[in-house]
Amino acid sequence: MSIRLNPDPLPDLLASIQQSEQNMNTASQQLSSGQSVNELSDDPAAAASVVLNHSQTSQDDQYLQNINTLQPGFQIADSSLNDVVTALTQALSLGTEGANGTLNDADRQAIAVQVQGIQSQLVSLANATSQGAYLFSGTAVATQPFTLNSTTGAVTYNGNTGVNSVQISNGNSIQTNVPGSQLFLNPNGNVFTAIQDLNTALQNNSNIGAAVTEIQNALNTVTTQRVFYGNALNQINSTEDFLNQDTVNLSTQENSLIGANLADAATNLAQAQTDEQATLNAAGRILSLPNLLTYLPPP
Amino acid sequence: MGSLSASLNIAAQSLDAEQTAIQTTTNNIANVNTPGYSREVANFEDNPPVEIGNLTLGSGVDISQVTSLRDAVLDLRVNQETQQQGALNSLVSSGQQIQSLFNETSGAGLQAPLTAFFNSLSALSANPSDPSTRQAVLTAAQNLASAFNQTSNNLTQIQQGEDLSVTQSVSQINTLTSQLAAVNVQVVAATGAGQNSGPLVDQQQQLLNQLSNLIDVSSINAGNGSLTLTTSSGAPLVVGGQSFQLTTQANPTTGFQDVYSQGTDITTAITGGELAGEIQTRDQQIPSILSSLDSLASTLATAVNTQNAQGYDLNGNAGGNIFVPPPAGGVGAAASLAVAITDPSLIAASGGPAPGSAGDNTNANALLAIQNQTIDNGQTPLNAYSNLVFQIGNQVSTAQSNQNSGSLVLQQLQNLQAGVSGVDINEESANLIRFQSAYTASAQISGIIDTLLQTTIDMVPVTA
Repeated sequence: MSIRLNPDPLPDLLASIQQSEQNMNTASQQLSSGQSVNELSDDPAAAASVVLNHSQTSQDDQYLQNINTLQPGFQIADSSLNDVVTALTQALSLGTEGANGTLNDADRQAIAVQVQGIQSQLVSLANATSQGAYLFSGTAVATQPFTLNSTTGAVTYNGNTGVNSVQISNGNSIQTNVPGSQLFLNPNGNVFTAIQDLNTALQNNSNIGAAVTEIQNALNTVTTQRVFYGNALNQINSTEDFLNQDTVNLSTQENSLIGANLADAATNLAQAQTDEQATLNAAGRILSLPNLLTYLPPP
Repeated sequence: MGSLSASLNIAAQSLDAEQTAIQTTTNNIANVNTPGYSREVANFEDNPPVEIGNLTLGSGVDISQVTSLRDAVLDLRVNQETQQQGALNSLVSSGQQIQSLFNETSGAGLQAPLTAFFNSLSALSANPSDPSTRQAVLTAAQNLASAFNQTSNNLTQIQQGEDLSVTQSVSQINTLTSQLAAVNVQVVAATGAGQNSGPLVDQQQQLLNQLSNLIDVSSINAGNGSLTLTTSSGAPLVVGGQSFQLTTQANPTTGFQDVYSQGTDITTAITGGELAGEIQTRDQQIPSILSSLDSLASTLATAVNTQNAQGYDLNGNAGGNIFVPPPAGGVGAAASLAVAITDPSLIAASGGPAPGSAGDNTNANALLAIQNQTIDNGQTPLNAYSNLVFQIGNQVSTAQSNQNSGSLVLQQLQNLQAGVSGVDINEESANLIRFQSAYTASAQISGIIDTLLQTTIDMVPVTA
């Protein structure tokens, strides 16, 4: 004799209806959110990894903003130093011209006036700003770094020797400035001493050759230092590329952690709907089955 | 030698017995949808034979008793499984509320404000003297503090909800134990009077099953049909006709309601049913999450304050607190986290006191570096938070999978139980037909015997 079964089919039917409804709900939630993990409990490890993933994406975004903040300063500094090189080259040729023994005093005075013009141009270039901040005053960005004493022609440095560095990707910082003292008052080639010495030499017609050498040294020094800003621009450009790629990688990683396979979800939904219909159909048939009493003849 | 009158007697007894069986069947059909009802069967028994001379003759049929069909072992297993399911249902339900607060997959949770705070310091590093960049740091700090406050408050609200549920569950348990004590008295009386106690046992078991959903209850049959109920740790719930009410009393430390039995605190000894789940959520899971949040909030606020004090603000003064210092020990730090300053110039981005070094970012970099320092129990702030997210999700996930497998077991057990005790209309109909034929046969036999008796009487000549 077979084991006596639960004569009431309803609990089992309800359980399987509930199950197929839950499957439908899961599939449609995945389709609408595009995610296979919609609650932490769906995949706790993936949810925890997504915390780190989202944070890194957000940090990368901030690094890109940092790069945008730094870029104009680098560009202005680079172009200012380019102008400095041009001005010094001009001073060099003026000095060479002034050293020519056929010139008279008036000619040399005229050249000296041009050199003075270059001097004030250089001071102005050394006081370059970006978004209101002085670029060559070290970290004393609110202080005008160079002041020219118009009487003596002496140039004073008011900035400091501080340098900043800013993180532009994980574990990767970039130095953001070279102090003006290092650029313009370098012992290997002091721009303002050289230009002032050239001016004096032209006016006095003495030691012009030595002054020209000073200018040459200053020019060499600035040209060397200027490489820093060119490198910085290259570095932020390549980092920007890296960050954009990293953002794409992170998005791919996010998708593999919690993204839904939409084709699978759509198939699952269709499957769940079919299951649901089959279950309901079966339930309808089972529940409407006649029982023995139906077949008894009426009394 | 048999007698016609004995046959008539047997036929009459048979009519009685079939009537009783038909009534039992009818009652079964009537109770087909009654929760907790166990089908009853009428036990037919042939009467003791009579010896007449050298003959042993049957003396008819009787219904010895009507019994309810139950399987005590299945009842016990169903109740045990119900206790586990009760606890798991409660855990899953509260766990879902808790995990929604930390649902990083939909953008909720603390990751965004935490990262945004450090990002604001990163921006400060790139532009340390810019007023709006400094203001953005304060705004981000404020958002982070609010996020900690809200998450902590929401957890406390869920905890208070569980506390209310504890009181309600205790009150339901008390109602059920009172009812069960009353049924106990009826069962003892019925058993004593030799009556069928089946329907009363159904009630006992139904109440016991409802109790099992609420608390870990174990039952012992006292022998006379009366059930003695205790919690699994031995606290009495029902003894005979007396129920022992559980009480609740506010815990002086937590303010939450502890459960007492006869003056003894049994809160931590409750291991099953919804009450156990509610207590576990209220006293263990939520406090553990709150403590992790407090630790994160207080170590972070302390590290930021300490580092800010190492630097110099926009005015060249040594830095002060950015966050209001968290309470000693960190308890309640998440709920009370607040920003201490409103003046953005007070953020100590600079590493040097020298006047004019407003553009220095040494200390801004040091503040940013806290992001990667293992300040919270050997973990970076983000890793500590990510671990917390894993733990919360994992607890719910474990409870859900236990709930799923347990519910399959319970369903299976309930099917087996109903296989023993459930009413099958077809079976009852078949029985009905059987009893009906027997009844009809007995009735016709009575008629035949009547005819025979008439024949016998007609044998005697009628004297005018």
